[in-house]
Amino acid sequence: MSADIGPPANEVFRLPRRLFDARCKACWFVFGLICLTIASFVTLDLQFAKFFSADSMQRMGKFLAELLAPTTEASFVKKLLIAAFETLSMSALGTIMAAALGLLLALPASKTHDGDRARWRGITRLLLNALRSIPELVWAALLLIAAGLGPFAGTLALALHTTGVLGRLFAEAIENAPQTASFALRTRGVKEGRVFLFATLPQVLPQLMSYTLYRWENNIRAAAVLGVVGAGGLGQMLSFHMGLFQMPETSSILIAMMLLVAIVDLASYGSRRLMQR
Amino acid sequence: MSTLSIRQLAKEYVAGKPVLRDISLEIEGTGITAIIGPSGTGKSTLIRCINRLIDPTSGEIHFEGKDLAKLAGAELRAARRRIGMVFQEYNLVERLTVMENVLSGRLGYVSAWTAFRRKFSNDDIQRAFDLLKRVGLADFANRRADELSGGQRQRVGICRAVMQSPGLLLADEPTSSLDPKTSVEIMELMRDLARENNVPVVINIHQVQLAQRFAERIIGMSGGLVVYDGAPDGLTQDTLQKIYGGEDWLAT
Repeated sequence: MSADIGPPANEVFRLPRRLFDARCKACWFVFGLICLTIASFVTLDLQFAKFFSADSMQRMGKFLAELLAPTTEASFVKKLLIAAFETLSMSALGTIMAAALGLLLALPASKTHDGDRARWRGITRLLLNALRSIPELVWAALLLIAAGLGPFAGTLALALHTTGVLGRLFAEAIENAPQTASFALRTRGVKEGRVFLFATLPQVLPQLMSYTLYRWENNIRAAAVLGVVGAGGLGQMLSFHMGLFQMPETSSILIAMMLLVAIVDLASYGSRRLMQR
Repeated sequence: MSTLSIRQLAKEYVAGKPVLRDISLEIEGTGITAIIGPSGTGKSTLIRCINRLIDPTSGEIHFEGKDLAKLAGAELRAARRRIGMVFQEYNLVERLTVMENVLSGRLGYVSAWTAFRRKFSNDDIQRAFDLLKRVGLADFANRRADELSGGQRQRVGICRAVMQSPGLLLADEPTSSLDPKTSVEIMELMRDLARENNVPVVINIHQVQLAQRFAERIIGMSGGLVVYDGAPDGLTQDTLQKIYGGEDWLAT
């Protein structure tokens, strides 16, 4: 045949690559991952044999038996209720503070329309990132130095971390909100603040509430853990009694934690469902 | 002097490719001026240049003693307050009540503190109620905007625009999302409200028959130029051909 056939009339279909092609990037990636996994097992020296030995099984059984016998002594239960309430308040207060501060920071962190120069967007987002990238536990450890032992440090720690999270989520929600209504107000010479109050906020409010409630669920769990570093509530009790190996008390505390988390999850889920209207 | 006076207005989104070329118009009175023309001929651009949603490349737009083309910031906001706009997709705040939507027409006039408390003056509320009654939506005042039908939403949109006491009313294809019967009702409402409130209306519209039926004056645009400007009666087959081009579509 001659060389001047020209381009083919129909489209040229390419066959998919063979799975184990030597050039296949994914294959090399998976291979590397497997190597890394094996290497980490070797270096970590996990003593599975010892872990599953008869001796340790027996000890674990004893430990579990102790755990399954929670104490219901009245004076202890009373202390437990107070601590549980403390954890609940820490999480709720921290979340509310974070929601307020997050909304305040979300405004400069969002570009609301095409003409918006959003001068503060970069710097506020940086601040939100910084707040968010430091975990609650680290915030608590830092604040314990400044604010002293107790629930205050824990609440502030939750508030600071959650501000970073909610601020970012709020800013995204505001940027993604439908522009039509705010556009209609802007065309009739309404200032930005009023546009936000009357058009943007009503549209995104259910989403903001839903985000806040969801973070509250996360924060009740975090608040329980925060106590361990000395920031009050159930966690502080837990680390105290567990440190003394008082298993019945530890068991009661763990059950209280689970119940509290379950209740908050339920409440938050329920109210989010209600709000989806 | 006329209410709105556009002089040698031109707009190029891309340099060398003008969408509007040398448009000059005088708008006055209290009737409807309908702008017709094929899609992409610059009707929307023209309307949006008037309230400066789009910055014109050159030309002047005189309205209430100011050249809108040169305004910015607070002065532009003050001028926009006097120009009402009605949209094809209504652009209401769906999660607010009908009443709140209508009252938001006053937002340009009230203080930030008033807006924050959502507390409007009794006069404004009374006026909003009267307007809603006028358009037949008095019973819907406390319903959420997303519970309304398209025609009802457009009425709320018109109320909102009238609420701002405009000196000029713009409408960008206000009937394009509505059925034929509702379209006629909306056009009637715009015509009557314009007369009652002493406001000229400029409407961008695709339905030539509606334009002929309700407008006092028709402006035909083609290729970024005004090719017809006159009474609805003067709109012959020839002029329609000049505006839209072609001829097959005119055959009956």
